[in-house]
Amino acid sequence: MPYNIIVLIKQIVDIDLLKVDSSTGTPQVQGLPLRLENLSKNAVEEAVRIKEKHGGKITAICFGTEKSTSAMKEAYAMGVDEGYILTGYTGNNPSLTADVISKKIREIPHDIIILGNQSAESYTGMLQGKLSSILEEPLLSDAVKVEINERSATVTMALENENIVAKAQMPVIISVTQEINDPRFPPVMQIMTAGRKKINIEAAQFSPDDKIEVLSNTAPRSERKKTVFEDQEKGITEIAKVIREGMK
Amino acid sequence: MNCLVFSDNSDLSIQMLTYFRKSMDTYLATTVNDVSIVENYGAKKIFHMKDAVFPNDIAKTLENLVSSGNYDYIVIGSTAIGRGVAGILSHKLKREVMAEISEFRIDGGKTVTKRFFYGGKTVLEEKSDATILTVMPGISDPEKVSEKSQVEDISSAESAITLVEKKEKKSGTVDLEKASVIVSIGRGIGSQDKIPLIEPLVKAAHAELAGSRPICLDYHWLSEDRQVGLSGKKVKPKLYIALGISGQIQHIAGMRGSKTVIAINKDKSAPIFEECDYGIVGDIFQIVPKLTEALK
Repeated sequence: MPYNIIVLIKQIVDIDLLKVDSSTGTPQVQGLPLRLENLSKNAVEEAVRIKEKHGGKITAICFGTEKSTSAMKEAYAMGVDEGYILTGYTGNNPSLTADVISKKIREIPHDIIILGNQSAESYTGMLQGKLSSILEEPLLSDAVKVEINERSATVTMALENENIVAKAQMPVIISVTQEINDPRFPPVMQIMTAGRKKINIEAAQFSPDDKIEVLSNTAPRSERKKTVFEDQEKGITEIAKVIREGMK
Repeated sequence: MNCLVFSDNSDLSIQMLTYFRKSMDTYLATTVNDVSIVENYGAKKIFHMKDAVFPNDIAKTLENLVSSGNYDYIVIGSTAIGRGVAGILSHKLKREVMAEISEFRIDGGKTVTKRFFYGGKTVLEEKSDATILTVMPGISDPEKVSEKSQVEDISSAESAITLVEKKEKKSGTVDLEKASVIVSIGRGIGSQDKIPLIEPLVKAAHAELAGSRPICLDYHWLSEDRQVGLSGKKVKPKLYIALGISGQIQHIAGMRGSKTVIAINKDKSAPIFEECDYGIVGDIFQIVPKLTEALK
């Protein structure tokens, strides 16, 4: 039986390339390339796997900017059918993001919503719960395995000390972990087709929110000694001393 | 001021109680089976939510609890369940949430918090109206108090989610958070069959063996409970010995509290050398046996 799946994707600056000014500790964000966030790929992959098995339609939603088309094209190439970019994203604010995204979700008939559990840059993990509460749909979080059967979803949730298998009736919200799958690399033909496909771009509706004041955003200062030996023998002697000291 | 602490994890519960009882009267709501582990950490009262399992029913149970009390802050341990609970509760109670905090203070009636950003590359200090917080593991070293907390059983709200089964994770009895020496391996180890070559050093240094995310989660060469990093254990041993670990920021975020860091890596430009006290550039399989010998 076919399903309408909504997948939430996020575009972030490529944090692996992010450099920090060594004297001031401030991050150099300007000019950094943007990329589709890692877990968004896992979310898209899981949606595509469900569609391949059961049929259906995948709609992607991205709260981003005009520059988010590259992220959406990547999602298209992986198998997303239709995409909405909601413009106006200015920074990490889970309450605002949940508000914007939930309004769009309400316009789209759906059985399953899939998103990443904690995005790579902010790590808050707040969106899943907020959406569950706003939309009044049960949350199956931190999924490492998803099985769909008729109108129910059975999900293996990876907790810290155990895995729990949980089942809920659709519509459901599923947040996925990085371990759930290996996102596909789409073939060139699919990438080319995706590039020509229409992307819906709409301005997000929200009232500005400046209740959070950033006091500072700098790299934590490393106060390590940084004594690095290239002479192995000398290094071993010195480090053996340090270890013996540390074991006391 | 009153602070309601919630966690499904006993370690986080007692860390948060120790940290927040300094500035507020603390109450604990928890789903841990054995409350005796958490009853000596200064909670004015413990609400034992024995049957609540999922973020939705836990949040509903907490919502009921909050409506009958006056809690200035609700602080929630950042676990898989805790994060879900915090998001739901924040919307239901219309109270702002600040996530993954590692420090907290009140300044002029506002909440001032610190949290990692850009995957751990920076620390963001923010002033906000948030009165719900999720708290990163490792916020304090738990300290007991003499008197025991009173425990009240709380029945859980109904759940739209059915628990099918619980599966124990493959794990030993390792407790990295309490280890005083840790030997940690990264991708530089090459393959799983090389791990026994590291073990003599682990023994000689009376250490626990740990690993980076790829080692524990992607390749499963070590069990998941041995993973150190932003998404794993946050450790603070006296000695942290990193072998073949490049030093990705997500890893550093998990071991930043270590007193002394030693790194061995063949790549001279590996970022780990910027985050270590002592390092050797070279092949771990040449150096480790000699180092082990030198310790005897």
